[in-house]
Amino acid sequence: MHGQDVRLETVEITYPNGFRAVQPTDLTIEAGEFFSILGPSGCGKTTLLRAVSGFVEPSRGRVLIGGADMAGKTPNQRPTALIFQNLALFPLMSVRDNVAFGLEARGVPKAQRHARAEELLALVALADQAGKKPTELSGGQRQRVAIARALAVEPAVLLLDEPLSALDLKLRQHMRAELRAIQRKTGVTFIYITHDQGEALAMSDRIAVMNAGRIEQVGPCDEVYSRPDTAFVASFVGEVNRLPGTVSRSAEGLAVIDTALGPITALNPKALPDGAQAFVFVRPEALSLAPQPGDNRITARVERRDLEGPFITLHLRSDPAGVALAAQMANVGLPVAPGALVELGFAPQTAIALPEGAMARTGTEELAAE
Amino acid sequence: MTSNRLLNAYTWAFLIFMFAPLLLMVLSSFNDISPPSVTEWHGFTTKWYRFFWMPEAELRADPVLRVLDRGRFIGCFGNSLSVAAIVVPLALLMGLSGAVMLTRWQSRANGLLWWVLLSPMLAPGIVLGLSALVFWGRLGVNAGLFTIIMAQATFVAGYPMLVLMARLQRQPIELEEAARDLGASALRSFFRITLPFLAPALISAGVISFMASLENYNTTMFAKGGACTFATEIGAMARNPNGHPPVINAVGTVIILLTVSVALGHALLKRREATKGP
Repeated sequence: MHGQDVRLETVEITYPNGFRAVQPTDLTIEAGEFFSILGPSGCGKTTLLRAVSGFVEPSRGRVLIGGADMAGKTPNQRPTALIFQNLALFPLMSVRDNVAFGLEARGVPKAQRHARAEELLALVALADQAGKKPTELSGGQRQRVAIARALAVEPAVLLLDEPLSALDLKLRQHMRAELRAIQRKTGVTFIYITHDQGEALAMSDRIAVMNAGRIEQVGPCDEVYSRPDTAFVASFVGEVNRLPGTVSRSAEGLAVIDTALGPITALNPKALPDGAQAFVFVRPEALSLAPQPGDNRITARVERRDLEGPFITLHLRSDPAGVALAAQMANVGLPVAPGALVELGFAPQTAIALPEGAMARTGTEELAAE
Repeated sequence: MTSNRLLNAYTWAFLIFMFAPLLLMVLSSFNDISPPSVTEWHGFTTKWYRFFWMPEAELRADPVLRVLDRGRFIGCFGNSLSVAAIVVPLALLMGLSGAVMLTRWQSRANGLLWWVLLSPMLAPGIVLGLSALVFWGRLGVNAGLFTIIMAQATFVAGYPMLVLMARLQRQPIELEEAARDLGASALRSFFRITLPFLAPALISAGVISFMASLENYNTTMFAKGGACTFATEIGAMARNPNGHPPVINAVGTVIILLTVSVALGHALLKRREATKGP
């Protein structure tokens, strides 16, 4: 098995009813990469995946896999395998026959394809379950059967459509590690679709964040998380505090933005000019109860304190402006009680000023308003 | 309270209207009098059942049974089985293609197509029978078993279509997509994935089609020409102005027994499947 690269060239997908699910998109996914496409439901990420697998034909543009144009190729002629959201295991076949199905379709003799199926089941640690029906397995085991079945056809590209969404949290976390390990072991290109940013950050080499049929940013996880390109990416990937304001001064990559909390210094990667409307984004974990010299400072009243084991989330309201904020910190026994007035600080390098734009519906305003 | 009593009364009335005639029919099939009666009891007998296999001598000795043509009756029943043997597979094939097309082929014409395919089921049986007769007559085919088969197949196909559609709608489309994605051709995906999933529904649809073909009267009546089937023959016997022989009651009782036991067997199988499952 070896991965191949996937290239989308100005791919655009419009449904017969006129709805444009995917705006013209250029994207290159390297061979052997674990690539995630992250976005809210209805953003077009599944449509994009189906265009790679061949269930949807792009209205415009080209899909190339390993350099070969896929135009006119049906799903059974493409070097891809798709893992469906509901897994789509064949309920009437044994686990072994499920895994061997792709080889059966290729005319591989029974003994040979069964031997290969056993090998793959061993790879996903299910060697002893081969004779069972899929319904007799647990959720995590079914998941692994789906992976083995897809790998059996030796795809160059494995496409995964939110395959973990039906599992509970513990199992999901376990499966993340397992998927990552399988990807490393096989070297197959993985394209992983999810709306769960934690999943995408934990597993991927690179991430594309998608909104309303458009890719907003492509990059390594760290970059997408700490250097978001747009207001949408900043608000969708991870929790974030958002402070609207006007740029009053900008110099050397930094800008001072006048907000309801007073002037705040933040990074200015988009070189916003003086007078521009902007959002300042600060991650909750950047807010500290021990401000350093040079930090932006905020005085706020603690409204609620959520203990989450190793860390604490404080829900605050700034004083006197009354802006809702969230701060997250390691649980090291700080005695912060609801009602207390505290001083918070965050370094200018941890805040980022971006032009106004569409926001994801998972911002801190909801977190704080709870 | 009153509404509750009203509902009770209604339920009982409903059950009585439904089952009393059946009960009377069963009772009179054991009464030694023709035409059948339950008001005058003439003693218990099983001869209305034994009519079909009793020795020739006994048959001739009975004043009622002697005038009945046993050979013709059995011949007509045989015709019914031959007709069903062709109508059932034909209807299953047509119903299956209709069901697959309507559930898997997304088209704006689907709504119209649904009505077109089901219209023979809704059309009056007389019209179906007559049109088959006229159509095949024009083509030089005389009315007979062939026209019965053609007329029946047109409307019987609707039952498998409805049954199979219901089942197909419950199969996630992803199963077929997964098969295609793993390299299977459309044909292999159909035979390996869709057809096995449909197997139980195909059996039910086959039984329903068989019953529909066997008991059909009006369409068959118009298409049959000189031929006869089980249903038309019973119809002919029942139209006797002096009252029909209780043999018909015996046949009716056997049909009820068969229907009930098939239904019971089906329910038992279902239950066993449910307890055996995970």
